[in-house]
Amino acid sequence: MADFRKLVAISLMAGLLGRLLLSVLQHYQTLPLILAAEQFETPSTEHVHDWQPIDGWQRNGFTLLFNGLTGFGFALLISASMYWRDQRGYLYGLGWGLAGFLVFFVAPSLGLPPELPGSDRAELHSRQAWWLFTAAATAIGLFGLILAKQRWLQIVGASLLALPHLIGAPHPEVAQTLAPEALQQHFVVLTSINNGIFWLALGAIAGRLMRKVTFA
Amino acid sequence: MKILTASTSISYAKILPGLCAIVLGLTVVLGLGFLQDSNNYLHNAAHDGRHSAAFPCH
Repeated sequence: MADFRKLVAISLMAGLLGRLLLSVLQHYQTLPLILAAEQFETPSTEHVHDWQPIDGWQRNGFTLLFNGLTGFGFALLISASMYWRDQRGYLYGLGWGLAGFLVFFVAPSLGLPPELPGSDRAELHSRQAWWLFTAAATAIGLFGLILAKQRWLQIVGASLLALPHLIGAPHPEVAQTLAPEALQQHFVVLTSINNGIFWLALGAIAGRLMRKVTFA
Repeated sequence: MKILTASTSISYAKILPGLCAIVLGLTVVLGLGFLQDSNNYLHNAAHDGRHSAAFPCH
């Protein structure tokens, strides 16, 4: 399991570096939009007693922690994929980063765009289920389409890519958002750019670090 | 001697370390992105990160 420890070390470094970059972008771009959107929310009496981080360093600290840990998790997926396929270097890393961006951001966002607080969407569990199904189908579909040699596997892969969007994401009968539409659109554009930059940077860094270690 | 073949097979020794990394990675990402606790602690702490990563949040 020496290899596993090396993968963890690579992922820690790549994940933290990639997420640090993302956190800086977020801090100046998307987080102000989240705070602005919350001004349109009416405080719900139901959740008033729940603990939540105080605005400022505490709230930003938790976001940083969330970013760092999820960056580590995403980096583990990339480094393990490269490890299995004996790949090294930032070019392979960029390829895996692009795949991660498609699986974990682009495909789910096609049906469920990044949302600001105060958006009235369909029931949470059905959206989470569709999100997970879409990410899994896109991952397996991309694998079949790009890495499989047999024609029938490529066709199955392409069908899996399309399937979640043919089924369609869950949406409420009457959709309404409290924040202005322009704010919501701005948020979608910025999160897309930021997450794209993050995934490519994460892949490139992880790929470069893979060169630094020798596996058993 | 190392034989180079254009195969997609993975050597047996590499299966377990890679699988552990994948399982740990998915556990961290999905746990932080999707778990809802009854007190909303985890949700509120992860709130801004979830919105920014396009995870369904509310």
